[in-house]
Amino acid sequence: MNTSSVILDQVTKSFSGHDVIKGVSLEVKKGELVVFVGPSGCGKSTLLRLIAGLETPSSGRIDIAGENVTYAHPSKRGVAMVFQSYALYPHMTVEDNIGFALRIKGMPRVEIKLKVRAVAETLQLGHLLHRLPKALSGGQRQRVAIGRAMVREPDVFLFDEPLSNLDASLRGQMRVEIAGLHARLGATSVYVTHDQVEAMTLADKIVVLNGGRIEQAGPPMELYRRPANLFVATFIGSPGMNILPATLAGAERDQVTVTTAQGPISLPRVNANIVTGAEVSLGLRPESLSLTTAGKGQLSGYVNLIERLGGETFAYIALKGFEAPPIIVRLDGDVELRVHDEVHLAIDGQRAHLFGADGLALGHVPDTKERG
Amino acid sequence: MSGASIYASRRAGSLYIAPFAIGFLLFTAFPFIASFILSLTDARLQDQLGDAHFIGWSNYAGMWSDATFRKSLGVTFFYVFVTVPLKLAFALLIAVVLNFKLRGIGLFRTAFYLPSILGGSVAIAVVWRFVFAGDGLVNQFLHGAGIGGVNWLGEPSTAMFSIILLRLWQFGSAMVVFLAGLKAIPEDLYEAADIDGASRLRQFWMITLPLLTPVLFFNFIMQIVQAFQEFNGPYIITGGGPMKSTYLLPLMIYEEAFKYFNLGYSSALSWVLFVIIALFTALAFWSQRFWVFYAQERSDKGGH
Amino acid sequence: MSTASVHGWRRHLPLINAFIRYGLLIGIGFLMLYPLFWMIGGAFKNNHEIFASPGFIPAHPTTDGFTKGWKTSTEYTFATYLLNTMKIVIPKVILTVISSVIVAYGFARFAIPGRKLLFALLMATVLLPKSVLLIPQYLMFREFGWLDTYLPLYIPQAFAVEGFFVFLIIQFMRSLPVDMEEAAVMDGCNSFQVLTLIVCPVILPAIISVALFQFMWSMNDFLQPLIYLSSVEKYPVALALKMSIDVTEATSWNEILAMSVIALAPSLILFFVAQKYFVEGVTSGAVKG
Repeated sequence: MNTSSVILDQVTKSFSGHDVIKGVSLEVKKGELVVFVGPSGCGKSTLLRLIAGLETPSSGRIDIAGENVTYAHPSKRGVAMVFQSYALYPHMTVEDNIGFALRIKGMPRVEIKLKVRAVAETLQLGHLLHRLPKALSGGQRQRVAIGRAMVREPDVFLFDEPLSNLDASLRGQMRVEIAGLHARLGATSVYVTHDQVEAMTLADKIVVLNGGRIEQAGPPMELYRRPANLFVATFIGSPGMNILPATLAGAERDQVTVTTAQGPISLPRVNANIVTGAEVSLGLRPESLSLTTAGKGQLSGYVNLIERLGGETFAYIALKGFEAPPIIVRLDGDVELRVHDEVHLAIDGQRAHLFGADGLALGHVPDTKERG
Repeated sequence: MSGASIYASRRAGSLYIAPFAIGFLLFTAFPFIASFILSLTDARLQDQLGDAHFIGWSNYAGMWSDATFRKSLGVTFFYVFVTVPLKLAFALLIAVVLNFKLRGIGLFRTAFYLPSILGGSVAIAVVWRFVFAGDGLVNQFLHGAGIGGVNWLGEPSTAMFSIILLRLWQFGSAMVVFLAGLKAIPEDLYEAADIDGASRLRQFWMITLPLLTPVLFFNFIMQIVQAFQEFNGPYIITGGGPMKSTYLLPLMIYEEAFKYFNLGYSSALSWVLFVIIALFTALAFWSQRFWVFYAQERSDKGGH
Repeated sequence: MSTASVHGWRRHLPLINAFIRYGLLIGIGFLMLYPLFWMIGGAFKNNHEIFASPGFIPAHPTTDGFTKGWKTSTEYTFATYLLNTMKIVIPKVILTVISSVIVAYGFARFAIPGRKLLFALLMATVLLPKSVLLIPQYLMFREFGWLDTYLPLYIPQAFAVEGFFVFLIIQFMRSLPVDMEEAAVMDGCNSFQVLTLIVCPVILPAIISVALFQFMWSMNDFLQPLIYLSSVEKYPVALALKMSIDVTEATSWNEILAMSVIALAPSLILFFVAQKYFVEGVTSGAVKG
């Protein structure tokens, strides 16, 4: 059996000479929910529109469900899309909106009615079928938009930032609904968002895009634990990874030593093929730093600002001797700490990251056992 | 435009605008050029076109010695220069008065707008003729007030006045456009001006008028173009008289062609009218940069 | 205290302001609409009364004007002229709407070679005086053998010749988000289905505006029928009215006023029923642009 649902092969797209997608190859497996994430202008929406058939690639090939659909009409490639603005037809009732594609296909009215009812029940829209979109709440419109996609029983669902028009509380709720729906239907989905929390929580696989290229693709925790480069490292995770400048002092078989403004730091690492003296970036997630007593930690500095969120506390610490902005450390909710306190920080070497001057990750941790 | 490939098909796009392209060539471009060529001939309505001769610029040269043309040209300019500014000023004034949250304001807007919808009709022209007739409405009122009647349509100056009044009566469409422009001016600008201590009159000159200039420009162009083309009113009310005092150029163009059958001369007159309108529009567009204030840069919307 | 009295006076300022505005509006409104009231009143008066007093409420209402006017001085009743008008106006409105919507869709959405130039030409047709086209068009239609038929009056409308209407619809279409049309394409529509099933229903207000304006303008049109129609049996109302003042003006004002009322009635009724579409139509071109 073919387990791939969408295959992109060296797809490029340029608009009037400007390259927006610069050769993207990607495979989406059947039943997977893949999230495209990246800063605005990274090409994630264009990539989705290429899969949808709303744009035609400048070069490359797109296969959906085993068929080459590179130049196929959007309605003939087994995809359905949920638009950011929902794009509901304002002059049609919920029922007509959901059934529109079937009507165009020429399906008998009775059959359309049955299918629309079934979809509406799944989405708890049954009581709203005769309303016009303007009489619906944001969440309801969202569900109609999803229903319109579902009724066509597509091979692939496409979501273009579907939650960005909702307010914060509803967004969380709809996120859970979409995740639940995906779990129930097991439908292959491609989902675009600029919100990395959405990406982390929903995705089976995240594709991080930047400047029209894939920076890294993989399961959310894989990207979080082993970012392939500085871009992914800083883009995934909230608050973001702290980056400190350092130079490589020496490398042994399973350990590297870097020199920072506060002296040498040794990290367990293998296969880091770099020359001594090279400029590197040391990446430290807020939770891979912890408070310790004087003399024990590798870094020290002064507390700049404290954000208490209840369950956890983020401390902004200005490191001694560094030009860099304060680093963020994640601490316990009721940690005893005050602004201007001097603190000493211990680094969890297993979870520290090193990046070369080209931004690529250097080597990997010898013990690949995952830790919570 | 948006880069959506669903609209990238040039062939489909060309198909949609094909009616316009064909219609433009057949009913606009061709007649436009043909009328210029005709204006260089002595073509007559009753003869075959083949019998016409090229006479060069004679039709144009002949105009300067044609007293009727000189009269008509003068009357036309007078009519346009009086009606356009007055109509715009009146429309703006009433729009400002109407731009106020009061009960029943919509009713007044309707009432003031109505004449500009009906005003071009023959029926209204007929009523106008009765209103200003010797024993018509206006004179009846004057008699009632003990003033002797005026022969409105019989005297050159008062006949022109009646025609001008009919045009001013139709200030409603310009007013509605002004009103929409006024509504588009954000309320907080006035609140800010209030806090700065600007008087109402000053606010009008410093805020309302500058922000209204795009709308004023639109109205100005439309009014100029329409006023130069007025036909129904004078044709039905005065027939161009007395003594050609309301003989606007469009009337002369019509009569030269369809009453005196001088197609060549009439075409030449129509080209003169066209050049006049074109000059005024070009002048307005050119002067735009000095007095029309656009709040936003105007760029094509859409795109990703 | 003087400050207190100023204060007291100031307190009433909004009221005074409203009073002045209402006074001004009522005064001007009455003056403006008086000719219309007088026309309607006069239609129900006898001729003697029309000349006797300038008031508009008839002392002895009579429908004489209507019954006599309806017969007209010709061999046809006014019904013929009303019917003739509709024979011109209805095809004209339908053709205008269809052609304007189609052409506007092309301009508003599609990548067309030379789009800027074509759009400039479209706008130029709005400003071009009609009289410069009049004679060649007349000669052209004479060649077609269309004189004394209604064809010259509405066939050109099948080709989106009124740039104003096309422009108005373009403005409306451009204000629509493209998403909806893309969704329709994904649902299987071709561009013509997108236009008829999605775009047209959504821009219906603009379409109604165009239809209403074209209806009014065509009802009012006088010069075109004057040139092209020569047999009285084909005259629309506009020509019939002009003819009747030439024939019976001196005597029967009430008949002419009554027929004027009838001539204006369709426009009047439509205006009051659908005035919001007129306002939308006339303003969208000027303000949105």
